[in-house]
Amino acid sequence: MEILINAVTLGSLYLLFALGMSVAWGTIGILNFAHGSTFMFSAMVAYYTVQMVALPMWAMILLGAAVGMVLSVLTQALIFNFILRRNPDLLKAEMQIVVGGIGAASVLLAIAQHYTKSVPFGFSASTFKTTTYQLGAIHISNVQLVILVAAFGLAGLAAWWLKSARAGLALRAIGVNPEVASLMGVDRGRMALGTMAAAGALAGTAGILLTYYLGSIAAETGDSFLISAFAAIILGGIGSVIGVVVGSMILALAETLVVTQLSGTWASAVAFGLIFVVLLFLPRGIFGRKEVRRT
Amino acid sequence: MNMRKSWSRTLLAATGATALLAAAACGTNEAGESSSTGEGLPDTIKIMSIKEMTGPVSFAGENSTKGIDLAVEQINEQGFLGDTKLEIDLKDASDSTQEAASLATQAVSDKSYSAILGPGLSSQASAISPIAEKGEIPVIYYQAGSDGVLVGDYTYRVTAPAASYYHIIGDYLAEKKVKTAAVLYTSGNPTLTELGEKAVPGVIEENGVTIKRSDTVSNDTQDFTAVTSEIIKADPDAVFLLLLGPQNPRAVSQLKQKGYDGEIIGMTTMGAGNLETAGEDAAGVVWPSNFSARSEVPSTQEFVKAYEEKYGELPNNYAAEGYDAVWLLARGIKEANSADRVAIREGIAKVAAEGFDGAQGPLSFENNDVRVEGVIASWNGSEEVVVTLGDD
Repeated sequence: MEILINAVTLGSLYLLFALGMSVAWGTIGILNFAHGSTFMFSAMVAYYTVQMVALPMWAMILLGAAVGMVLSVLTQALIFNFILRRNPDLLKAEMQIVVGGIGAASVLLAIAQHYTKSVPFGFSASTFKTTTYQLGAIHISNVQLVILVAAFGLAGLAAWWLKSARAGLALRAIGVNPEVASLMGVDRGRMALGTMAAAGALAGTAGILLTYYLGSIAAETGDSFLISAFAAIILGGIGSVIGVVVGSMILALAETLVVTQLSGTWASAVAFGLIFVVLLFLPRGIFGRKEVRRT
Repeated sequence: MNMRKSWSRTLLAATGATALLAAAACGTNEAGESSSTGEGLPDTIKIMSIKEMTGPVSFAGENSTKGIDLAVEQINEQGFLGDTKLEIDLKDASDSTQEAASLATQAVSDKSYSAILGPGLSSQASAISPIAEKGEIPVIYYQAGSDGVLVGDYTYRVTAPAASYYHIIGDYLAEKKVKTAAVLYTSGNPTLTELGEKAVPGVIEENGVTIKRSDTVSNDTQDFTAVTSEIIKADPDAVFLLLLGPQNPRAVSQLKQKGYDGEIIGMTTMGAGNLETAGEDAAGVVWPSNFSARSEVPSTQEFVKAYEEKYGELPNNYAAEGYDAVWLLARGIKEANSADRVAIREGIAKVAAEGFDGAQGPLSFENNDVRVEGVIASWNGSEEVVVTLGDD
């Protein structure tokens, strides 16, 4: 039972991180490799703020979301929009967007390394204090509960918005066919900025909650999560919120089982090997949409 | 920075300080010493310092450089080399192996450089050493603990391998009546793997403690929830954490949040402010260390006092190692009475054979690799302190 709870907690960490990345990739086609640095940088700004003013958790989340939103919008406006304007060929543009994202990530990482000297930082100065509850042999903390609620709540909200809200439908239309969506009156540029703002806010929120849960993160932490999030999205299927939920949980369960039953050394190898096997049979991921090509 | 690996080497260097070197202890008691050795020396001796001033290990490079600057200032002000001044040419190699190798090649070909103060990354050091040996230029490294770093007569290291002093934890285990233990180490790092698989289990078992579990995590592990749950189920009296610096506060916090109240024992990666974010959760965590600013060893306290006066903060191990590297080099130059690279190498060898008192306490050398007595450091919830056994 405890293994399952630990796996779901780890899966929720991956989910929180991957959600914003998945929404941007699955709708406006932006695979943002600066997502990890946005996540880390938001937490770092919150850390320096909380050193000056002791803030509660909700204020830290709002601050992290705001910083993430600003960084993500700036990345879109200054890098991705520029690349898209110069490259009518979407395939070439996608490659350049990946490189542009890596560039933005490197800048944010270098700034963070300069200020933190790669020494871990956390929110011990915050007014929020971690409490652990014991339910039989199982220990669960208040931060763990917040992570679980936030991850599934935000995933549910994102799924509902994309399926039912008018803007969400327009966004999905861009994901299916950007040209036709534009002809139907969808403002792709504005929607892209909005999506990146939401993805950045999710990255910032994830940065704050994960720092509370882990106790501390370092400048390089975002990079480690980026690989896991990338794998979870691919496994679940690009563009599917339920896919990223399932992908995160499978990845986390596989890693937890390997760590507890075998050895932490093999965690990534076995987990990613498993993903490879799944993709052999389901190349578009578990919930990936079928691509229809007309000749 | 976890770069120690090789440690089992034969004892070559004879220890025991001579009158000359005892008088030169730590470089802070030189005021009355003759400076006549400067006759064969030029006005300035130029040293290239290749450090990680930017990138993921910049914390080590910056602190090491602070220790270097303090030592150079003392040497020049005290006239340790007579009228000769040491001049450090600081080069940033970040975490690039190619850049470090290129800088070393430049130092070899530019005859104005007499020696190199090497980087702390093993990957960079392993690239520099063959260049330095072939080019016959002395290099003194800090950290850089992998095999293949000390490859000949020209390469020295001033960070003792953790395995060489980890045995000092034995008395602590006895005092705390530790009977069972669990070991958790980062398997993606050669130094930590060596410690986790051989050196630390060896020390644990030598002290009559049974190892109940041994677990590994990877370099990328961020969440320790699952592995700490399994460790707690085994109910060990002590948990040994041999992890990368940023992993330590997370593992400690998650062990405590899971209700673990036994002993937590680590290694030097817990120092240099890495436990600060764990705060009260980490109170009582101990680790054998090559250096602590709170050590009562006189030469260490002289260094700490001078460092605090210059920088207004306590030094960490990287600063102490940088300081000791420069004093080893300066003593070698003085012994050689020459700025010639080969003569300096011979001078360093003589100094190393006799040892000296440095920032890290009494230093001796085995196969060009330093050895220290070590201290047991502890985090008291807000700062690092030294554990004195029998205080409870």
